Amino acid sequence: MPLWKKTGNLIVSEPAALKDFITKDIAHVLVDLRDAGAARKGFIPGAVSLPAKELASSKDRFPADKSAPIILYSDTVDSDAFKTVRGWGYKDTSVLNGGIAAWTAAGGKLQQGDPATTISYVPKPRPGEISIEEFKAIAEKGDPGKLILDVRDTDEAMNGMIKGAVNIPAGEILSRSKELPKDKEIITHCQTGLRAESAYEDLKEAGYKGRFLNALIQIDKDGKYEITKK
Amino acid sequence: MVARKFSFLAAATALVVMLIGSIGTSFAEKPTVLQPCVQCHKAEKSVIRGTLVSVTEKFRTINVQVGQKLVWVISYGDDLKLIGAEKLSAVPKDKEIGVTFTGDEKKPYAVSLSVKPPAKVAQEKLVSLEEMTKLIAEGPEKGNYVLIDSRPAARFNEGHLPYAVSLDNAKFDTPINAEEAKKEVPLTFKDTALPKQKDKLVIFYCGGVT
Repeated sequence: MPLWKKTGNLIVSEPAALKDFITKDIAHVLVDLRDAGAARKGFIPGAVSLPAKELASSKDRFPADKSAPIILYSDTVDSDAFKTVRGWGYKDTSVLNGGIAAWTAAGGKLQQGDPATTISYVPKPRPGEISIEEFKAIAEKGDPGKLILDVRDTDEAMNGMIKGAVNIPAGEILSRSKELPKDKEIITHCQTGLRAESAYEDLKEAGYKGRFLNALIQIDKDGKYEITKK
Repeated sequence: MVARKFSFLAAATALVVMLIGSIGTSFAEKPTVLQPCVQCHKAEKSVIRGTLVSVTEKFRTINVQVGQKLVWVISYGDDLKLIGAEKLSAVPKDKEIGVTFTGDEKKPYAVSLSVKPPAKVAQEKLVSLEEMTKLIAEGPEKGNYVLIDSRPAARFNEGHLPYAVSLDNAKFDTPINAEEAKKEVPLTFKDTALPKQKDKLVIFYCGGVT
């Protein structure tokens, strides 16, 4: 996947993820590539209307932050539009799989009227994200009310863990959640934040309170670590 | 939970072995290789392959699970050679290990313990980016393949390769719903994602470092 993505090949996303973006209020850019007329009749809430034929000349209208998730949609999977936007360096660009039909088939609502025509993108932390500073403070000094949970595989954890952390691989969280204290805040981490987030979601569902570290972390044998912002 | 029970069992077994020593029952014909390990390892006379249950420091024994109800209890000393781990305490519970021993099967003494290295995929089983691009341009029907995204479903939804089917590796053998879970042979995620035609090319990809 990382190689495929890095080399700029087509990435498609599912309506379920777009729904998540909208309901969880995660910052993203949603572009309706159809003609303005079609868009007015029914567009996905939050979409910006930017017809495909005007796309190539609209580079300036896109956000400065190249890591912004950008989702493009039309009636089909428009791989040319993907190439254009991806070519500008937006590494998290995707095309909605199945187009607008897949969105409505998945129960997604449409909005009528005039969609926005200017893109506004304000990056914000994902829900449940802990700041690197706060994570470090807990890792250094410890906190009786918090528990650091390492959700990497046992193989990775055996090469070094943060002092005082507990290891349960992300895939085993649901079946082993009873091993965790309910009265503590569970702070999950992995190596990049991906598994940590899914573990955080699993724990939230199981009734635990917690947050996750959404950053790159390397830990050596002595428990010394280095955190880098993504 | 199960593993914990076993470690208790193993500690108790170790104790019994220490107490009754060689007057215990014969260990002959006891399996030496855990079922999944036979995919790559044949049974050898003086090597035990299984998962680590526990290390009982007090009695200096390594307890290795080789069958559902079979735990080998192997003594060790300071001369134990470790391969793939710095110290014995760093080997995680349930980790796949191989222990070479000397002496009688009844009183095995560990010579070396090797920790299973990360699996390597043979070169001929890898698909290059170039081939993948070609296969995607063709589509799965013409190309006669199934492309599987083995990351969690949420990651799949956020963005995946065209034509990919989601099959979270952690849920490979998990029943698809609660109703199926009640059945004797439940329908699992792998049954719904993998092709019925066994001669079809199945290509897996994941997120690399996560």
